[in-house]
Amino acid sequence: MTKRFGERAAAVTAVDTVSFDVERGSIVGLLGPNGAGKTTLIKSILGMVLPDDGSVWIRGVDVHDDPRGAYAHVDAMLEGARNDYWRLTVRENLRYFATVSGVDPDSVVGRHERLLEALELTEKADVAVRDLSRGMKQKVSLASVLAGGAAVVFLDEPTLGLDIESSRTLQRELRRLAEKEGLTVILSSHDMDVVETVCDRVLIMSGGEVVADDTVEELLRGTDRHRVEITSRDLEPGLVSTLERGFDVGRVDRLETGFRIDVTTDSDGFYELMDRLRSEGVTLEGVRTIEPDLEDVFVDLTSREDGGTTRRDGVSP
Amino acid sequence: MTAPPDTGGTPREAGYYHLTRAVLYREYLIFVRYPANAIGGIVIALFFFGVIFYGGRMVAGQALTDSIEGIVVGYFLWTLSVGAYSSISNDIGSELQWGTLERHVMTPFGFAPVALLKGVAKIVRTFITSAIVLAVMILITGTTLALHLFTIVAIATLSIVSVLGLGLAAGGVTVLYKQIGNWLNLLQFGFIVLISAPALELTWMNVLPLAHGSALLQRAMIDGTRLWEFPPLELGLLLGVAVGYLGLGYVVFQYATRRARRLGVLGDY
Repeated sequence: MTKRFGERAAAVTAVDTVSFDVERGSIVGLLGPNGAGKTTLIKSILGMVLPDDGSVWIRGVDVHDDPRGAYAHVDAMLEGARNDYWRLTVRENLRYFATVSGVDPDSVVGRHERLLEALELTEKADVAVRDLSRGMKQKVSLASVLAGGAAVVFLDEPTLGLDIESSRTLQRELRRLAEKEGLTVILSSHDMDVVETVCDRVLIMSGGEVVADDTVEELLRGTDRHRVEITSRDLEPGLVSTLERGFDVGRVDRLETGFRIDVTTDSDGFYELMDRLRSEGVTLEGVRTIEPDLEDVFVDLTSREDGGTTRRDGVSP
Repeated sequence: MTAPPDTGGTPREAGYYHLTRAVLYREYLIFVRYPANAIGGIVIALFFFGVIFYGGRMVAGQALTDSIEGIVVGYFLWTLSVGAYSSISNDIGSELQWGTLERHVMTPFGFAPVALLKGVAKIVRTFITSAIVLAVMILITGTTLALHLFTIVAIATLSIVSVLGLGLAAGGVTVLYKQIGNWLNLLQFGFIVLISAPALELTWMNVLPLAHGSALLQRAMIDGTRLWEFPPLELGLLLGVAVGYLGLGYVVFQYATRRARRLGVLGDY
């Protein structure tokens, strides 16, 4: 699939010849920095954006040729949108959205009750959504997406605004639906822990292209990105500044004497770092290797694409 | 509340009957649960009518009294038109902001049938509120009008269906250009000209929304003409204008939605 916005010289390719298959009953994480093309890709798959080239098949149905047939299997929760009617109660929303998804709500009453229970909404089932907390509203939004029994759901930042317990409940329910009911989920999130916990597979996008497509385990195994924590009393402010210019230095802690710094680098970079420290006469008092997580892999892959400027979220330079 | 038993079986497919029931029920729930909007609309409509009636009597005296039936019927049709037009165009704007329009687009039914069904609900709702306005106007002015329910409902419905088409088109423009909705609401003041068309005696205006319907409604409510007493050609024109503008509005809405999808601005409110 390819999607460009604008004309001629001003044209921007938001999605650049992206192609992938998703296995039924799997949960696929879609990651990428802002502007990577994730939302355009999702909206193109859903038909909210018409692609310039390419096609989408959902359960053997071509979305372009038979949108009604294809959309009968799909629903989505998009970030930043209410997605449901706040003046209706939780249960009324479930019934309404089941109907517009092409399912007679009377035939899925049991499913709705189980969904309400799983998402801890049973007590609020007959309360208008507008009277619920933000986290509850988020859960109602998810419940209404699952209400019609869609086989494929797209969830954009589904845990945004949820407390830890609610987020875990939601993750458990997603895994259960995928494993027991064969639900296919394409999940976009900035919360790497959620992606790492829930997803069977991860697609990482950058500059409109898919730069990685593998299981979480394989991505972690395949990365040549290491994080080391170095402690030394010989590290002084001038040297730390020099290192910050030459390496991806994350956390910097000033100690009573010296510094403790956190450097993320690949194998070659690690040797360079050690050479540099040796040439500066730095005696190492502590070197700790931190196992790379999905966030490290993400930063590694996306920074390669944009010239190494991407940094870890929440880590100050 | 006791949980209903799990139906256990395979989910059954929902057809247009289920969709109709769901959309109309939703509109009904919102109407009965949040009556403030409807009551506010009635109060404002009556306030402006009071200004026209009492202010006009002070300025024009007997001249206004002589034409009061026409004014009451015209004002009744105007409240119906504004109700149908603004509710459907504003509703599309709201759905756009809430993200529910996007969600409908990717359903097997799409948003257009939902918008049409909402239009039906808005017409029913507008009839209820405008009937109250009409009753109060008759009481205030002491006017006598022929109130043949079937004739009035048939002519008024066909008259405002054309306006519903304009509302759908305005909603389509809102999908493309977002914040333009408030400007499009100004169009409803143009309805006054269209409703006054019979008095202007310009034949070509009969193909515009409301104009011909306004003429027929005046004859029905002032002269007491029944629906079957109108020449078939006139009823055909009323029907043709209604279907034509509704169809046009539907096409504009569909085109605008498709264009918004092409430009990638469907949900970018």
